[in-house]
This record gives sequence, structure tokens and C-alpha cells, in this order.
Amino acid sequence: MDNPLSIEPLFHIGPVPITQPVVVTWAIMLALGVFSYVATRHLRIVPTKTQTVLELFVTTIEGQVRDVMNGDPKPYRTLIGTIFLFILVANWSSLIPGIEPPTAHIETDAALALIVFVAILRFGIGSRGVRGYLATFAEPTWVMIPLNIVEQITRTFSLIVRLFGNVMSGVFVISIVLSLAGLFVPIPLMALDLLTGTVQAYIFAILATVFIGAAVAETPSPQSKEDISQ
Amino acid sequence: MTIDWWTLGLQTVNVLILLWILARFLFRPVAKIIAERQAAAHAALDEAEAAKHAAEAARAEAEAARQAVLRERAEKIAEVRKDAEAEKQRLMAEVQAELDKARGQAKDELARQGRAQQEALSEQAGVLAGDIADRLLARLPKEARVAGFIDGLVEAVAQLPESTRAGIGLHGPVPLRAAQMPTEAEIAQLRAGLDTTLGRAVEIEVTEAPELIAGLELDTATAIVRNHFRADLDRITAEVRKHD
Amino acid sequence: MTENLIEVASVLAAAIAVGLGSIGPALGEGRAVAAAMDAIARQPEAAGTLSRTLFVGLAMIETMAIYALVIALLVLFANPFV
Repeated sequence: MDNPLSIEPLFHIGPVPITQPVVVTWAIMLALGVFSYVATRHLRIVPTKTQTVLELFVTTIEGQVRDVMNGDPKPYRTLIGTIFLFILVANWSSLIPGIEPPTAHIETDAALALIVFVAILRFGIGSRGVRGYLATFAEPTWVMIPLNIVEQITRTFSLIVRLFGNVMSGVFVISIVLSLAGLFVPIPLMALDLLTGTVQAYIFAILATVFIGAAVAETPSPQSKEDISQ
Repeated sequence: MTIDWWTLGLQTVNVLILLWILARFLFRPVAKIIAERQAAAHAALDEAEAAKHAAEAARAEAEAARQAVLRERAEKIAEVRKDAEAEKQRLMAEVQAELDKARGQAKDELARQGRAQQEALSEQAGVLAGDIADRLLARLPKEARVAGFIDGLVEAVAQLPESTRAGIGLHGPVPLRAAQMPTEAEIAQLRAGLDTTLGRAVEIEVTEAPELIAGLELDTATAIVRNHFRADLDRITAEVRKHD
Repeated sequence: MTENLIEVASVLAAAIAVGLGSIGPALGEGRAVAAAMDAIARQPEAAGTLSRTLFVGLAMIETMAIYALVIALLVLFANPFV
């Protein structure tokens, strides 16, 4: 049984060790990029089936972001959508034999959480200004300042560990079961793994939205709620 | 527990690149096409709204024109009707006036004829009454035609006003017309009656006048005292005519 | 034996960590799901919002169990004392 917490580099490019998650991530990037390019090459006013699915996906993300933040989802659409899509595809990549999801390694999750952390800072400062954003740490009173700072770090850390623990434990359990009974037995567990992967992708995206929404100032939605399709 | 920092950095870069790729090839085009469709839908809706408004306006205009035509027609009809009414009134008034005039003429004519007839009848009746009285008196003695009237004449003279009575016979003899030449006795009786009434002697000049039928007529200067049938008949005739 | 003792203790610690660490989140998740079912039964039109909130809440609660699991795995595979 391999140690799930450590990874070995596959090869080196110069001094840079290239590990398996990086390679899988490259593959995912390539697949998503090619798919997006092909799918959005011929967009029309009257949509095809693929275009309808893409539009549904984008409008759903916009609707969720709008629901959570009560604001215009346009600046956050790409970030939240990319996080959701990448985690979903990465979690489901375990379906391909011999591939370990990149999210089952803490480095990938840490990279995602780091991006979210930077995004929280960026949007918070962009919305309130540096002083205004720093002032939110003193809410409700200045006594809360250390607690708020600790909360910033711990919630990012919990974001990492949550995703890592879920995906990694799924992979780990499947590998254990696989070593005990190779045929058919892991299938229900893999199905459960798919569900967990979807839910974790959704939760990661929603939590990122919640954190960003808490950081930015309250702005009224330019569109009324009735325009949201779902 | 070891964290491979190289992997962490690479993964961060990878996710950032993926972010750019998806923004470039997925989210931006899709959002653009959604916005375009919304704009197109809005444009179509606006267009439809504008077309609806235009149609509405055209309909209102047509309605107004129709109303105007109807009003004009109604006005014309009313005008023509008024004219016809006035013409009718005028014609009817004319006819009525003519009719009234004709009727008045006819009535006048009728009245005139009736009056003439009445007059003729009265005339005839008067003549007839005279004849009848004449015939009837023929059955009486000749004296009756004078003698019976002497007392009445004297009484009538007595009823005359004093001034009139005083003037009787002052200028010559009093002309007396009788239906028949009275006898001496009758003249004497008359003279006596007059003398008694007037309190003095008066001269009488008797003339015969058969048209009186029966009776006497005393002609003084200021008054004529009639006491004969002709006067009675004339009075009756006049009264009868007045009654008609 | 001394080296074996650390390994035995590590395995025991991992088992206890996962076993005990699962009790609290299990109870908490049970209560959360029960409350969410109650709310959806009362107000079915709010099911969408409730489900989203429920999933986020379950993930939060589940994170506690995952922490325990991570600690157990650390003890098993990344034990600094072995």
C-alpha cells in the first residue's frame, strides 16, 4: 500500500521535478481547453445542444453566485466557474484507470485554496479599498482582530484539508478495497466517490463565493431576482 | 508529511493558466452570446411593441376618421331634414292660408247669400204680412181702419215730452196721414181728443195713405207719431231680422 | 519491541482518532439532515435554498471527521517518531 501523503517525481525538466498530479493537471487543462475552443467556435443566437448545455452551466453558476452574494456575478463568474469545473473534472478523472486525481494530493488543493485566498484579498481591497478592507477585521469590535486573522487562515486551511481529505480518502478506500477484491466490489464505492467529488467541487466553489462575498461590500444587484432562470 | 513546493507552485500556475483558458474560450464567448440573445430578444420585443403601438395608432386614426364621416353624414342628414321640414311647414302654411282665405270667402259669400235670402224672405214676409193684414182688415168695417186708432194716437201724443207737445200745430195745420179718408165724425173725434190732450185747438190736414194699411200717422215739426199697422209690421220685421 | 511499541501505539491512536472523531460529526449530521427534512416538509417551495445550505453545512460538519482521518493518516504514514 502506497503512502497517500507523499508523491514521487516522474521526471525532471531541468531542476524542476514533475510529479504525477502536474501531468494529470496538464492533461485536464488540455482537454478542457480543446473542448472549450471547439464548443464555442460556432456560437449562434439559436443554440445547438452543446451550446445550450454550456449556457445552462454558465447561467447556473451566475445564478448561484448572485444568490449567495446578492450582487452582480460578472466579475466572479470566471473564477468560480473555473474552480468548480477543474475540481469536478479532477475528481472524476479517477474513473480513468491508473490515473490518480490531482486533488487527492495536498499540493493541488493548496494551490486552489491559495488562489481563493488571493482572490478574497483582491476583491475585498478592490471593493472597499485597503483601509476599508482592513477595517473589516475590527468588526464587530477591535478585540476580534486576532480572531478574525486566525479565521482567515484557518478557513483557507480547512478548505484545503476538506477537499484533500475527501478525495484522498475516497481514493485510499478504493485502493484498499481493490487490493482485497479486484472485480465489481469497488464499483459502488466508485459511484459514491463520484457523488462526493461533485459535492466537494460544489462546496469548494460555494465556499469561495461566500468568502469573497463576505469580503466585498454589499452592492445591490443590477438585475432583479426575477431574471434568474433557476 | 511533506509538501512538494515545486508541485504546489506548478499547480498554482496551472490553475491560473486554466483560468485564463476557460475565461478566453468558455465563459466570455458564452456570456457574450447570452447577452446578444437577450439584446436580440429585447430588440424583437421592442420592435413588436413599436409595431403594436403603430397599429394601435393607425386603428385609432381610422376610428377617428370613421367617426368624423359618421358625424358629417349625421349633420348633413339633419340639415336636409331641417330644410325639408321648413319647406313642408312653409307649404302647409301656404296651403292653410289659402284654405283659410277660401273658407273665409266662402263663409262670407254664404253669409252674404244668407243675409240676402233673409232679407228677401223678410221682405216677402213683410209684404205677405201686409197683404194678410190688408185682407183681414177688409173683413172689418171700413171705420175700423181709422176709428180704432184715434185713442191710441191721442194717448201717444199725450206721452210725448212737453216741449214737443207744445210745438205741435204752431206753424200751420198738423199733417195727418190716414189709411183711409176718415169720416167727419172721426175727424171730429180726433180733433176733440187732440184738443183735450194739448189743451188748445189745432188744425189738422188729413191726407189719405193706403200704404199704412190701417191706422194714423201724425207728423209734427219735431216728432212723428205713428200708430198704424205698417209701422208695427216694420218694427216686427226689424226685430225678427235682428234676432236672426 | 520498543520500536514495535511505537507502531502499535500509532495504529491504536489512528483507530481511536477516527472512531472517536466520527461520533460528533455523525450526530451533528443526523440532526442537521433531520432539521432540513422538517423544514422542507413544512415549506417545500424553499427546498432549493435549503438543500444548498444543507450541503454546505454537511460539508462543514464532515470536515471535522476528515480532520480526524487526516490525523490518523498522518500518524500511520507520516509519523515523525517512527
